[in-house]
Amino acid sequence: MPLSSYESLFFWIFAIAAIFAGLLTVMARNAVHSALFLISSLVAVAALFVLAGAEFIAGVQILVYVGGVMVLFLFVIMLVNVSAEEMGREEIFNKQRQVTTSLIFCFLLVLGLLYAVNKGAEVLTRQNLAAREQLAEQQTNQDARLRRSGTGTSRITKDTEAVGAVLYRYASLPFEIASILLLVAIIGSVMLARTLKQEASADDVDPDVLKDEAIKDPELLNLDAASQ
Amino acid sequence: MNNFILSSLLFFFQEASAAPAGDAMSAMKEGLKHPDLSKFLVVGALLFIIGVAGVLTRRNIIVIFMSIELILNAANLNFIAMSRYLEATGSANALTGQIFTVFVIVVAAAEAAIGLGIVIALYRNKETIWIDEIDLLKW
Repeated sequence: MPLSSYESLFFWIFAIAAIFAGLLTVMARNAVHSALFLISSLVAVAALFVLAGAEFIAGVQILVYVGGVMVLFLFVIMLVNVSAEEMGREEIFNKQRQVTTSLIFCFLLVLGLLYAVNKGAEVLTRQNLAAREQLAEQQTNQDARLRRSGTGTSRITKDTEAVGAVLYRYASLPFEIASILLLVAIIGSVMLARTLKQEASADDVDPDVLKDEAIKDPELLNLDAASQ
Repeated sequence: MNNFILSSLLFFFQEASAAPAGDAMSAMKEGLKHPDLSKFLVVGALLFIIGVAGVLTRRNIIVIFMSIELILNAANLNFIAMSRYLEATGSANALTGQIFTVFVIVVAAAEAAIGLGIVIALYRNKETIWIDEIDLLKW
């Protein structure tokens, strides 16, 4: 389990990069900068995934988070007006008292979590050290027998294969439920993002609201009539 | 003063397994040279805290969403680290952590889509992204 030589060097580089990028995400004044720092944090965490031997998850993280979710975030930042924040005309943090309280809370949480992690890890690492070293040796031998990649410099891991097998063998029902969840999310976000005009043409507005709004924009009533 | 800094550093990076008590310095070096499960968990915990701080202190609703992504990502890091630990101990279902991470990512994507849809709808009606101005349910 413990990393060694270059792996540990990369571990510290990416760990520090992830934490600093996370901090800057929270502290950046410009929301676009926040999004870009979050992207770097996510990429650094993906690198940590690779170090922990989860190549497939690292790929999914890059594709889904960086390629999908963060692009969505950037689009929404573009759609809403954040110029007041960028110019420094608006306070980016809450009021002083709220910030102080939450920082004290976070500090206590840090202490508690790190204490728990250290105590827990102590117990976990003490258990059957000898057996684990033997297992690690076995693993290394197995890894040495893996097929070489095309360039011949590294080996092709079996991680993706194993994850796929476990995903469909033991988690096929949750997998299907996840697909339905995504479908619901797509439909929900389309419904949420409609304008009043689009809602009126689908005859999906409360009649009283429609009457009020029609005073400002008489076209809405025609849209309603056209759909019927 | 130096001693205090060292001991607080040790609190963060104490190597749990090796070295008798008193030989804390070499234990820390060992921990730096061979980061193990606890280091992954510490990184995950710090990312989580940063996310929590972002949710609690920021006013911009979009940045709050980003902080939530940070929190979910910290949880993912913990899952992966535990999965790796279980793999090293020869557990039969070591890959469960990785599977769970896939589902967390799916839920995060759905949450981002819905949440940002709400932000757009809110901005259209209230013309604001500051959470302290969105007080429709307050009386």
